[in-house]
Amino acid sequence: MKYALLIHGDDSAWVDLPDEEKAALRAEEMPQWISLFEELSKADPGVSGYELDGRSTARVVQVRDGERIVTDGPFAETKEIVGGVFLVDLPDLDEAIRLAALIPTAKHGSIEIRPLQE
Amino acid sequence: MTVEEAFREEWGHAVAILTRVLRDLELAEDAVQDAFATALERWPRDGTPRNPGAWIVTTARNRAIDRIRRERVFREKAELLARLEELPADEDDVTAIPDERLALVFTCCHPALAAESRIALTLREVGGLSTAEIAHAFLVSEPTMAQRLVRAKRRIRGAGIPFRVPPDHLLPERLPPVLAVLYLVFNEGYAASSGSEHVRADLCDEAIRLGKLLAVLMPDEPEALGLLALMLLQDSRRLARIDSSGELVLLEDQDRSLWDEGRIGEGLRVLERAVSLRRRGPYQLQAAIAAAHVEDRPWSEIATLYDRLVEIDPSPVVQLNRAVAIALSGRVDEGLALVDELDGLGEYHLLHAARADLLRRLDRRAEAAISYRRALELTANDSERRYLEGRLREVS
Repeated sequence: MKYALLIHGDDSAWVDLPDEEKAALRAEEMPQWISLFEELSKADPGVSGYELDGRSTARVVQVRDGERIVTDGPFAETKEIVGGVFLVDLPDLDEAIRLAALIPTAKHGSIEIRPLQE
Repeated sequence: MTVEEAFREEWGHAVAILTRVLRDLELAEDAVQDAFATALERWPRDGTPRNPGAWIVTTARNRAIDRIRRERVFREKAELLARLEELPADEDDVTAIPDERLALVFTCCHPALAAESRIALTLREVGGLSTAEIAHAFLVSEPTMAQRLVRAKRRIRGAGIPFRVPPDHLLPERLPPVLAVLYLVFNEGYAASSGSEHVRADLCDEAIRLGKLLAVLMPDEPEALGLLALMLLQDSRRLARIDSSGELVLLEDQDRSLWDEGRIGEGLRVLERAVSLRRRGPYQLQAAIAAAHVEDRPWSEIATLYDRLVEIDPSPVVQLNRAVAIALSGRVDEGLALVDELDGLGEYHLLHAARADLLRRLDRRAEAAISYRRALELTANDSERRYLEGRLREVS
């Protein structure tokens, strides 16, 4: 069964950090990401994953009564945004839960598991 | 054996085996349902088969083949039919298939399902209760319950909830929801939350039956045994809890000759076995408390057991019970002070009933009356209302 693992987090604290501090934090988490990638590709060699750019580059498009409305995104009220996604083919939900818990940002954000419709 | 008796014995067993093979709970249930319908036609005419369980599994297998040929698209057909090849066509070979009911229990109680769906599914798939029976037990309409069951089964397939007993490292997080489902069913029967019957014996019996099944399937799991002991010990007082006019009778006023000695003995034996495994848990402690009540131990001992329970389960309801035990052991003021410190139970009728009772014991009648009135506002159960009204008259 195919699952999307949506990585939710609050990027507001992150974007304001100076570049060198960002780099340091990334370096700190990097071994965990590497072992995650190993686990994911062991479970599904065809796994794919993407990191999404921050909220400052996001735009939201709505069409209402035929009119196109484009605003800055994602949604002003929400602090947590989707920062990345993995698409992975797994035997069952328990395995999806196990792998989601290995994503380093699960420690401060949250991972949403969404089965893909067949 | 009649078809009805076979149904109670064999339903969960057959659904579990077919689900294991087909990996589709909905299709498995339909096929087993068909098999029992066939049994209703044939057994009265041809006689009960030698091994009713094996007959049901074999017939369900054949009915599943019919259904797959009729209903499924070509792509699915070949795969599902191939899976059914795993099942022997001959009844005599079916008895060798291992019991899969434990996997069925864990699937029905998977945390990814809503709590109310877990209860309904477990009663339906493992217990074999009809949708109408479950709807009646939980006071919802039959179409609502049918919808709930269908959605839960779709969710199992849609989310990829596995059909298996979780590996050991997952058991600590996966066993508690299973035990909670059984205990909720039991409590719904034991203290019907609304309506005119205070005890719905059929639900208590069903919870105990499932508890025994779990204890057989997990003989080394102390909390599964602890839960069974707890249910047996509480249930032993079922007849004494309600008097001939349907009024609720509190423990201290109960006619002990109405207690079921057989159940008490069984409960104590199961508890002893649980404790001998030497891994303490909340159900074992609650069973120990129930045993202490049955054996008429002093309240100070019961209060000590609650001290230990509060360490593992500091929920407000447990704290309330501990406060009451402390009060009844003679430290009424201390107990009342603990009741008044509790947070988050303002809408819980038993908090106000307990507070009223302690105030009554201290002869603070006016305050007791206020608490009895608050408890009355909050309870929906008729026999509890009558009990509280009686107490209110006493202090007014």
